[in-house]
Amino acid sequence: MTKVRFFFPELRLKQLLEEPGGIKIADALMRADDAIEASRDAGLQAIDEKIAAIAGCEREDAADTNNKCYKLSNEIYAEAGMMRLAELSDVAHNLCELLSAGVSEGVSKRAIKVHIDAMRALRSPAASASRDLRRAVLEELHRLTARLSHH
Amino acid sequence: MATIDPDARINLTKASVLLVDGSQHSLDVIAQILKGFGVPTVHRYDNILEANKFLRQRTADLFVIDPSIEDGAGYDCIVELRHSGRPNATMPVILVSGHVRKADVARARDSGANFVVAKPLAPVVLLQRLLWVAKDKRPFVDCGDYIGPDRRFKFEGPPAGSEGRRAEDLKAPLGSASEPNLSQEEVDAMMKPQRVII
Repeated sequence: MTKVRFFFPELRLKQLLEEPGGIKIADALMRADDAIEASRDAGLQAIDEKIAAIAGCEREDAADTNNKCYKLSNEIYAEAGMMRLAELSDVAHNLCELLSAGVSEGVSKRAIKVHIDAMRALRSPAASASRDLRRAVLEELHRLTARLSHH
Repeated sequence: MATIDPDARINLTKASVLLVDGSQHSLDVIAQILKGFGVPTVHRYDNILEANKFLRQRTADLFVIDPSIEDGAGYDCIVELRHSGRPNATMPVILVSGHVRKADVARARDSGANFVVAKPLAPVVLLQRLLWVAKDKRPFVDCGDYIGPDRRFKFEGPPAGSEGRRAEDLKAPLGSASEPNLSQEEVDAMMKPQRVII
């Protein structure tokens, strides 16, 4: 029978939050949104570098290629989402799903390439400016991945 | 999750946060979000070695970590912290996690973290969770293998048909009441004992 000990540790964070002064929550959130906006250019550059790195992994034949691609696409998923690039984030998430599901049997290089192409297309100036074009890229990606999964 | 009152005030001007994430850009942005909340000191690390070194020597008021760092070493880092017996072993921990492999779901639950926040991270969600963690009323549990906040948000006893694994779990159903309920006066008398003159 498991012997269990329950206790209530003291939490300094709670005491600090309740101290007088500080800032309004609305102001805190506005400052945080501004901080994300200020790092947008650096963020987009980092995403482009990660897409290029996935493309590099995809060309390699290393045993841990899937793992590397998974890690990079997971970072793109999170960072694009934070910058409200929903479609790009979706594609990266899709790639994560694909890579995590196929760790043991290996993932088709064509499926990875389709995702890389979709991410590149979504980062193009034309797609950045047009929601319809971004949707079309997503639809095409879903169509291609469905076709590849049947082969 | 309850919405937060935008006019309420928070004071994090004396707080410090330990932030660990394998992505440099993610580290930068989350640190800036925390600074936006008024946190003056954010200790940032993009590797577990340095994070563990920090945890052995220092402490912070909150630990925010992406557990996927170094192929899931973040989960082990939290388990090690909780079992360390150091004064910072009970510090609040928020996992910020992107895509989670199925195999890692149980690791996240059993790591001893207070809460998991899904990436992509929105400032409002991070602040909600930070406030929630600060006000969390769940006790800490130490049952040998697991040390961390009680993983049960509601306590409704062991599952039906199971004896329960804890020494204090009741071994049999309580059954229905054998006597009538106490009246409100009787309850009051127990809660507020008053002096009587005999």
